[in-house]
Amino acid sequence: MSNMAHESLLTVSNVFKNFGDVIALDGVSLEINSGEIVGLVGSNGAGKTTLLRLMSGVYRPSRGSVTLADGNQVHNMRSTLGVVPESTGLYSRLTAWENIRYHSRLYGVSDETSWKRTLKFAESLEMEDNLSRYTRGFSRGMRQKTALLRALAHGPKVLLLDEPTAGLDITSARTVRSLVKQVRNEGGTVIYSTHQLYEAQQVCDRIIIIHNGVIKADGSPQELMSITECNSLEEAYVNLTQEKARMRFEDKKSDGPLGKLWNKLFKPKLPDKTELMGVDEDE
Amino acid sequence: MSNSFHRVKTIAKKEVIEFVRDWRTIVAIIIIPILMFPVLFIVFPVLLESEAAELDSRIIEIEVQGNQFPDQLIQQFNYSTTEITLTNVTFNESLSIPGDDFNRVRNMEIDAVLRLNQSEDIWYYSIIYLSTSEGSTEARSRIVDSLINWEANLTEVKILDGGLDVESTLDPLRYDGDISNSDVATEGEQAGLILSLFIPLVLAIWTFSSAIQPSIDMTAGERERGTLEALLGLPCTRNELLMGKWLGVASITGVGVMLQIVGLLFAIGYLATSDFIGVPDLSLGAILLIIASIMLFAIMVVALELALAMRSHSVKEAGSILGPAIILIIFPALFTQVINLDGIESFWFSIPVINVLLALRELLLDRVIVEHVLIWSSTSVLYAVLAALYAAKQFKREDIVTTLS
Repeated sequence: MSNMAHESLLTVSNVFKNFGDVIALDGVSLEINSGEIVGLVGSNGAGKTTLLRLMSGVYRPSRGSVTLADGNQVHNMRSTLGVVPESTGLYSRLTAWENIRYHSRLYGVSDETSWKRTLKFAESLEMEDNLSRYTRGFSRGMRQKTALLRALAHGPKVLLLDEPTAGLDITSARTVRSLVKQVRNEGGTVIYSTHQLYEAQQVCDRIIIIHNGVIKADGSPQELMSITECNSLEEAYVNLTQEKARMRFEDKKSDGPLGKLWNKLFKPKLPDKTELMGVDEDE
Repeated sequence: MSNSFHRVKTIAKKEVIEFVRDWRTIVAIIIIPILMFPVLFIVFPVLLESEAAELDSRIIEIEVQGNQFPDQLIQQFNYSTTEITLTNVTFNESLSIPGDDFNRVRNMEIDAVLRLNQSEDIWYYSIIYLSTSEGSTEARSRIVDSLINWEANLTEVKILDGGLDVESTLDPLRYDGDISNSDVATEGEQAGLILSLFIPLVLAIWTFSSAIQPSIDMTAGERERGTLEALLGLPCTRNELLMGKWLGVASITGVGVMLQIVGLLFAIGYLATSDFIGVPDLSLGAILLIIASIMLFAIMVVALELALAMRSHSVKEAGSILGPAIILIIFPALFTQVINLDGIESFWFSIPVINVLLALRELLLDRVIVEHVLIWSSTSVLYAVLAALYAAKQFKREDIVTTLS
């Protein structure tokens, strides 16, 4: 754990999340304190996005609870959160500012307030000149920056970022990381999902390693290396996540009875290995 | 409550703005609806007339085959547009068997062949023609007209030869006066009857079809583009989200349907000046009930389409469900046209879709029957509520944030 003393802001208590028969999160408990950047690190399908969606109130836990400091369930108090999903979720036929304003209005924040906050952060992200442009032609980096501005415009206490630098060029990624630190320095809390250990080490005060729906470790980068007696975070990560990673599973539930029958009848089949072994290559 | 209303309004406003910024939407919801009926009722008849005139003025080549060629018949043809060739032929088999003329007509060497053969007092004839050729069909039509006139002449001669009066023999039963004066229905009611045959059909189909695109765009489209997840993380409830999107789709659909009605009324107004159709007589009550029935129908249809689209994982999947689903409207709509409104059993007014279509038909005839109004309005409210509940259930599914991509 980080040595910095902060008040608890968000508590995840013994949370289980199932999708059909598959357990996505298996008894996850953690506490997020104010004024820290917490990195959620794990491979694809580890449960990072599911955990973020639970913390943002998009999903409800199958068991357990996600509560804020005042004891309220997080899905009832979403106005204290700012969320940037992996897909950014921008409307291409709206301008950057219209995208930001739309969310701010739904948060119940006046246009004037959100405009002031947007301008403040837009300067750091060098986005002032792009606010009046349609997001249709935006690069991945510009989209990510706009989504960040949108998440910050209503003044959230906690910022939830799902792989915010994925697919960004070096300069854009640096700018995003620098903004995240700026938010933390101004007293905000950031939960940052990534599978890049180098980035997590650079940005996060605390790293939570999640693997196959279970939290494997929680602490500062130094603490994780110390626990595992490894010299690098990468080695520590490999050491902590030795079980074979599972596949993504969330869409498995979507097939209805007709879909299952269809898949049974028309599912493409791999060639039989024994048949292949019997085939002479010269033939 | 006011915050909730504010959020619903914000969502609806954004949906409309985003949708209207696509030029294809402008074409789909403004240009096409407003032009559809004027084109159908004004331009199309003009085009038909012009094509008919062109065919009338076309030179048609007809060969008349036989042993004898009655002058009275040949004179019936208009020589300015018809070229007649007389060919002496003796027939050994049925006149209808094309024989050598099969290829001549098919290859359009000639438009049609009229074969004549007299046996005792009777003239036998056949026409060899190609039904898939407009020229050949026109030739056949001109031959038939000429034969009818010639036959009338022959009949008159025979009646006179028999010492009878031609008119009283051929027309022993006659209507006295003007038929239109005997109909006690007013012109407005007659107009309402004509309109009731297609307005309900058009309203139902257009309401359903014009809601498809926005419904898909605002649900499966958002899901596919990944914008839905960001929206679900906001402090608005799923019901507010549904209400906002419903209001957005309903506004777009409402504009489309309204513009289509404007186009329809314009076309009717144009036709009214040509005495083809009048303006229906409708009481204020009937007009208000028409509006109420359409609104209830729209609530149900839009909620159902939003629900079905939200169930889909992609735009393609939603399109493949909602496209064919229009059959659910077309079949009842066609079925409703043949149901006799006089003495109709009340249960018809409780069947989904059919209830609103029948209500529209009755109301366009200005028939406000309290029992029927109570049944269709209460069942429509029930179906609208059920559709809204189903939509709400779909919007509360957790897997709506997952996408195929």
